[in-house]
Amino acid sequence: MEHIYDVIIIGGGPGGYTAALYSARAGLDVLLLEKLSAGGQMALTSQIDNYPGFEEGVDGYELAEKMQAGAERFGAKTELAEVYALHLTEAVKKVETSEGDFYGRTVVISTGASPRELGLEQEARLVGRGVNYCAACDGMFYKGKTVAVVGGGNTAAADAMLLSRICEKVYVIHRRNELRATKIYHDPLMQAENVEFIWDSVVTDLIAADSLQGLRLKQVKTEEERELPVDGVFVSIGRKPVTELLAGQIELDGAGYIIADESTRTNLPGVFAVGDVRTKALRQVVTAVADGAVASHYIDEYLAEQKQ
Amino acid sequence: MKKLDMNLDQYNEIRESEKPVLVEFWAPWCVYCRRIAPAYDKIAEQYEDKLVVGKINVDDVPEAAKQEKIEAIPAMLLYKGGEVVGSIVAPDSKAKIEAFIEEHL
Repeated sequence: MEHIYDVIIIGGGPGGYTAALYSARAGLDVLLLEKLSAGGQMALTSQIDNYPGFEEGVDGYELAEKMQAGAERFGAKTELAEVYALHLTEAVKKVETSEGDFYGRTVVISTGASPRELGLEQEARLVGRGVNYCAACDGMFYKGKTVAVVGGGNTAAADAMLLSRICEKVYVIHRRNELRATKIYHDPLMQAENVEFIWDSVVTDLIAADSLQGLRLKQVKTEEERELPVDGVFVSIGRKPVTELLAGQIELDGAGYIIADESTRTNLPGVFAVGDVRTKALRQVVTAVADGAVASHYIDEYLAEQKQ
Repeated sequence: MKKLDMNLDQYNEIRESEKPVLVEFWAPWCVYCRRIAPAYDKIAEQYEDKLVVGKINVDDVPEAAKQEKIEAIPAMLLYKGGEVVGSIVAPDSKAKIEAFIEEHL
């Protein structure tokens, strides 16, 4: 006889571990599946200044460790497992993973989001050979070199700022003619002497032998193409929800987010979506943890109904 | 063997081990390296009998990173008889590290 958990949570970010904390404190039997380590995207941010209660800010990785420890203190279990398939339509749901199959009466999807790729040929091959998605991780390897940042949002602006302090030259390539980033980033970037903007342009190809040598760019208005020699490119063009395993099984919106309102309930009974992976107006640590608490409330309600 | 931080001498010596050797190139400032650490610890335990598992801090041992042309971290290299037989950059799950090891072991 297989063990059946009350709640299986997929993804150990702030939403997932808050759902685990609240559910464990409600006396439920909780398993959280995480493929790497707690925190999700938050764990890659060394300074979080908009999570209340930390006047000096807080390191995302440490906050994640504390969230995990807090949930485990009340009996939630963590398994380091990668999920391969989900079967969510029956009353008892089955989750196939690298560590075996797990069964739950309810499932919380808290798989979050991951960096969006350029979608170019050779891109996967060149990761670590000139193509990067994390300036804070790999910026140091481009000390004194020439790099390009692709994107115009907050992450792109922050990456460009960081790289401008390390690299000889930083190009910012953006498909519009102005940044989408919050205004506080604009002035310092415009004033940085080694930062050059290439507006209205997209990357159409990666030029590479063993490693990246340059980018082929297209000016979207004039359709003019040209080559830009760079040692590295940092891709900061936003995020995409991690919902590949759910397609065809649960209702997703056009961008791939799970359709769920503030109740976190999805179209499938007993399946909940919390944090960045669901349709919502503001994707933040605080809104993810709020989702976790709300999900636990509706899980309780759902399990009580099932018993009747 | 418990996972160990290696200096250049240890790296040069251990690479030549009879057992295959898994080395992670990392740095304290690399945020993604921290995320991988718990999984890498588990891997070191799991593969205790089959592998020597070590780490190179690229700030402390830049020679090793240069020699292997490391351009992004965390990078994991698997050595057999002193030769690199496979490498993987920033694997995003413990399962992917296992699959990488199994493929090249």
